[in-house]
Amino acid sequence: MTIKKTPQKKASRKPAKQTAVRKRTPGRRAQNKQAIRNRIVKAALNLFQTKGFDGTTTRAIARKAGIAEGTVFNYFKSKEDIALYFFEQEVGHAVASVRDNPRLRKASLEEKLFALVESQLEYLAPYERFIGAALLHALKPSSPLGPFSHRAMELRHRYLGFVEELIEESIPKQKQNPLAFLAPEVFWIYYLGTLLYWLYDTSEDKQNTLAFLDRSLTIGVALLRKGKP
Amino acid sequence: MTARKNTSIRRAFSMASMGADIAGSYLGYALQRAFLGETKSRQKLKSTHTRAARRMRDEMQALRGTAMKLGQTLSLQTGVLPDETLAELATLQMQAPGMHPSLVRVQIKKSLGREPEEIFKDFTPEPFAAASLGQVHRAVTKEGEFAAVKVQYPGIRDAIRNDVKLFRTISKPAQASGHLPKVAIDELETQFLAETDYQREANNIEFFKRELAPLSFVEVPKLLRKYSAGKVLTMSLMRGQHLDDFLASRPSQKVRNELGTRLFDLFYFQVLKIGTLHADPHWGNYLFQRDGRISLVDFGCVKTLSSATTRYLHDAFLYSGSIHSDDFRQLMETYYSAEGLKLLPVTRRALLKFAQNFYRKVYPPSPEKDYRFDFGDRDFLNAYLSESKNLFRTKGMMPDLIFMCRAEMGLYQTLHRLKAQVPTSQIVRKYLR
Repeated sequence: MTIKKTPQKKASRKPAKQTAVRKRTPGRRAQNKQAIRNRIVKAALNLFQTKGFDGTTTRAIARKAGIAEGTVFNYFKSKEDIALYFFEQEVGHAVASVRDNPRLRKASLEEKLFALVESQLEYLAPYERFIGAALLHALKPSSPLGPFSHRAMELRHRYLGFVEELIEESIPKQKQNPLAFLAPEVFWIYYLGTLLYWLYDTSEDKQNTLAFLDRSLTIGVALLRKGKP
Repeated sequence: MTARKNTSIRRAFSMASMGADIAGSYLGYALQRAFLGETKSRQKLKSTHTRAARRMRDEMQALRGTAMKLGQTLSLQTGVLPDETLAELATLQMQAPGMHPSLVRVQIKKSLGREPEEIFKDFTPEPFAAASLGQVHRAVTKEGEFAAVKVQYPGIRDAIRNDVKLFRTISKPAQASGHLPKVAIDELETQFLAETDYQREANNIEFFKRELAPLSFVEVPKLLRKYSAGKVLTMSLMRGQHLDDFLASRPSQKVRNELGTRLFDLFYFQVLKIGTLHADPHWGNYLFQRDGRISLVDFGCVKTLSSATTRYLHDAFLYSGSIHSDDFRQLMETYYSAEGLKLLPVTRRALLKFAQNFYRKVYPPSPEKDYRFDFGDRDFLNAYLSESKNLFRTKGMMPDLIFMCRAEMGLYQTLHRLKAQVPTSQIVRKYLR
């Protein structure tokens, strides 16, 4: 992730709808702001990864990013805010990498879901330690990262909405298993499970996670269809 | 039933259900027998066997892992399965589940560091063949060379370990009775795991490219090291047809004899000259070209015979005297003691019986001038299958000899399908010291 990369999304704190945003090129001011935002996120992730999420302060983040601590607060309310922003970016990236990929247009549902999760894991890979901590953090009911915070919920909806879209375009409603409406919720649990599996996967190059993903998705998608798999 | 399953438990379930199905089918036979006459009953038994064999093959293909190879070995060494089943199992090869393009892409990226389109001038996302433990894709290198890119299914090593663990458990009775020695399972595991090592396979390709150079009718691919790493192995693309396609073009007896002779020649050149075999001589590992040349395609399961074995084979093949002589006995004992083993009387008797009933027929020591052995003979193949089974089950059998016998089984089956007539003794004599 380079800082100077043309941002795919408009600099906006609200989780932007990621469609049709790419066409407008942001002005220089917005570009500047985005660069600083990226710098903060990069510094924060670096520290989360090395010092741990709990051991990182906004002051340390500011120092690492080479800016004043006050400037950090112009962009983010807290380090949780930074973490959430990162996850929003991650989901946006993964969704785009499936939706905008011409090679996947005719792919099977298994393959699309595989590509989705795989691109998330690839995005998260450099920050493995932090992801583990964030998962734990998210278990606290009061945590802004947790499932009950408004923003986290919104993000999850966006993600699962996309999963639902993928299912819809691959299996027509009348061919779906009557319980298929639960699929997105189940997928969320599946995704968290996959993250855990991935975090604890000690195989070379995390090859077992790939095998796990591939096989479980084959079985899972088979269950979505009507009748016996 | 979907073809993809993992985890020991799932495989155990699948194996168990397979057992239940075969039992079911045998049970059906037992019930029917009461209503059928004697001859009909025998036929029925045979078709039950075949059905069970098919079922087993399908199931194992669904598991597509080590299970089927283990099943094959177990059956060879313990004789729990009838000949029909063995014949079906012998057609199997180690296979992994198919990979969709996205998974292939990830594997290539993880191994070679970049996307296939960046690495190759052209890369076909759909595979053109299944390889042991993975699949093969066509590509064109940046230098413009046509290549075959072998990509391994992820996590295959661990899956094999799990299977072997499971197999050790379910085969405890056979181990306890001494029919399936622990070393045999160890050896199998080593061999399976070796097949997952593409670095090793790369070295094998270079070895055979060099060693088989004297045989002008054999084509060995060129290793493209620049495009090989981790779970990806790239070599020049081999031309030719698989045996079935080749046979579908109805080649004449002359052509079939010619090819059979070459396959036979290739086999004994490897055994007697370089003491190393490139693979199971299963027909899936050869491609046949129109001009009669043979391409080799799989180098994952190379076996090197011990020097004592090679020496023994040189001495014992086409042995001119009586095999019941003291001299021949001396020969066998020397071989066994060179390997640090003791030749048991029961083993010796089994080996002699096999040699008498079998080797002497295929390889007569002093053949007539235009002698050719006809591998199209079905009775011969069946007799060989059951004889060799007896041999495998004998206590104290030399592992290398079991291997040789199994390799010959693959060769003979290929030759049988070709219905080839081969000047066996003449070829072997060429390579004897």
